[in-house]
Amino acid sequence: MKDGFDSFVRKEAVEILRTWRIWVLPGIALFFALSGPALAKLTPQILQMAGLGQGGIEIKIPDPTFYDSYGQWIKNLSQIVLFAIIIIYGGLVSSERKSGTAVLVLTKPVSRRAFVAAKALVHGVFITVITVIGTLITWALTAVVFGEAPGAALWQASLTWLALALFFLGLMTLLSVLLGSQAGAAGIGLGAYALLAIATIFPPMVLLSPAGLVGAPAAIAAGRAFPSVWPVLTALVGAVALVAWAAAAFAKQEL
Amino acid sequence: MTAAIELASLTKVFGATRALDGVDLSVPEGSVFGFLGPNGAGKTTTLRILTGLARPTSGYVSVLGSDAFTASNEVRARIGFLPDVPGFYDWMTAREFLAFAGGLFGLAGTALTERVSVLLDLAGLAGVKGRIGGYSRGMKQRLGVAQALVNAPRLLMLDEPTSALDPMGRKDVLDMLASLRGRTTVFFSTHILADVERVCDTVAILDRGKVVAQAPIDTLKSRYGASKVLLEVVDGADELAGALREALWVSSVTRGEAGEIELVVSDDAVAQREIPAMVAARGIGLRHLEAGEMGLEEVFVQLVGGEGR
Repeated sequence: MKDGFDSFVRKEAVEILRTWRIWVLPGIALFFALSGPALAKLTPQILQMAGLGQGGIEIKIPDPTFYDSYGQWIKNLSQIVLFAIIIIYGGLVSSERKSGTAVLVLTKPVSRRAFVAAKALVHGVFITVITVIGTLITWALTAVVFGEAPGAALWQASLTWLALALFFLGLMTLLSVLLGSQAGAAGIGLGAYALLAIATIFPPMVLLSPAGLVGAPAAIAAGRAFPSVWPVLTALVGAVALVAWAAAAFAKQEL
Repeated sequence: MTAAIELASLTKVFGATRALDGVDLSVPEGSVFGFLGPNGAGKTTTLRILTGLARPTSGYVSVLGSDAFTASNEVRARIGFLPDVPGFYDWMTAREFLAFAGGLFGLAGTALTERVSVLLDLAGLAGVKGRIGGYSRGMKQRLGVAQALVNAPRLLMLDEPTSALDPMGRKDVLDMLASLRGRTTVFFSTHILADVERVCDTVAILDRGKVVAQAPIDTLKSRYGASKVLLEVVDGADELAGALREALWVSSVTRGEAGEIELVVSDDAVAQREIPAMVAARGIGLRHLEAGEMGLEEVFVQLVGGEGR
């Protein structure tokens, strides 16, 4: 018996293209990818002009390099894009419960586990595509604006951040199953990010856990090597485990 | 005849509330079964358990021979379901939603396209091009019925399918349900008695979480109809009615517009002996005496309209 997993995956993908979802995350990422390199180039001049305007103080700022452009992109990913992911995906499952669409789907040959897995899969791919396209744009514009743009640092930093984004997608999938409120799930998601940031004061957490990914992308984008691959691995394993937990919890819930 | 749905001692407790209290029910395969009850009786809870959306607190639940909560995709593939307030993806059109629903059952290609077209016609939505977000409640309800039929189900379960429809839409849906008799088991909940009388062959009445009656409609009506007596006398109707109200075997006495007396009696045999005797003892002329048949509405009111309401 063929189940409805493929059809549900297709629905999720088409839903992204046909609703607000296609505008929000891609819009934010595209804006930062397009503006980041130029802003990195012009920031020193803007600051100097601002300083001169306020009593003739001369601010000495080193000439910007492609590292500044990369840093700009990663900083925006690590803060605004990640927070947008946490807020948007707080309702990944609960919004379908609230609207009643989950009832129509789950009384057909689609298991609850497949329902959750399909959502996490499609939106994981969506976030990956946004990251790759945004990074490509940043890379190309950095080369145009700065005349040089070695790829390794930028791509390593972006993909390291992607592991953190997927970890939070997994967490928000779980929270959207456990909590009926998108706002409540988003609040806990932001709290989890704060905890992860606090955990960076413990060196073993930085080297071994997803907490290391809070600062690692920025360090890599600045051309510094990050000493451990474990944060990426634990974040990806954690993402899968969180989605599996979400699927198991959803299978036991009453709708 | 085998049962498409079998419930035994089914209970569902929400905190201090006993939504279902030992429900026993057997829905014969091929029947059009009306699940009747006032608002809050437990109809939707029963349907949520039957469709695996909720778990019973205790009791036995079998749908097409399988446990409802752990039913496999194979079992779900033979079931069609319409919830009381169906939720749709507002960004889809009706055609897209039916194609999506069919896809969940593994339907594809020409078979799916043809099925979708037939169902759009049936739902009266063939010419509607807009997105579901702009539909009226009635249009959504008709689309809900159509999506429940996309897999040509062996068992169709509907929760209040006609509640949002206008008279024409209601007639269409009821005609469609009646046309499925013998091919598909139709189990639908409603509080609209006329719908049940119109299409159902069997009915169960649920009240405060308990099934208070289950039988073929004719049996149910005749069972309760035997306790109703219509009496018309030449004169002295008030005096006779007063005396009848005092009798222990009389459950209720009502007076008709033309002065006739309508009785609901608890013991037919006593009534047959006593009524003529009471008429004769008062020297009243008897014009008409007959055992009347209760309509389903009266049966319903008698069964669920008791104390506490």
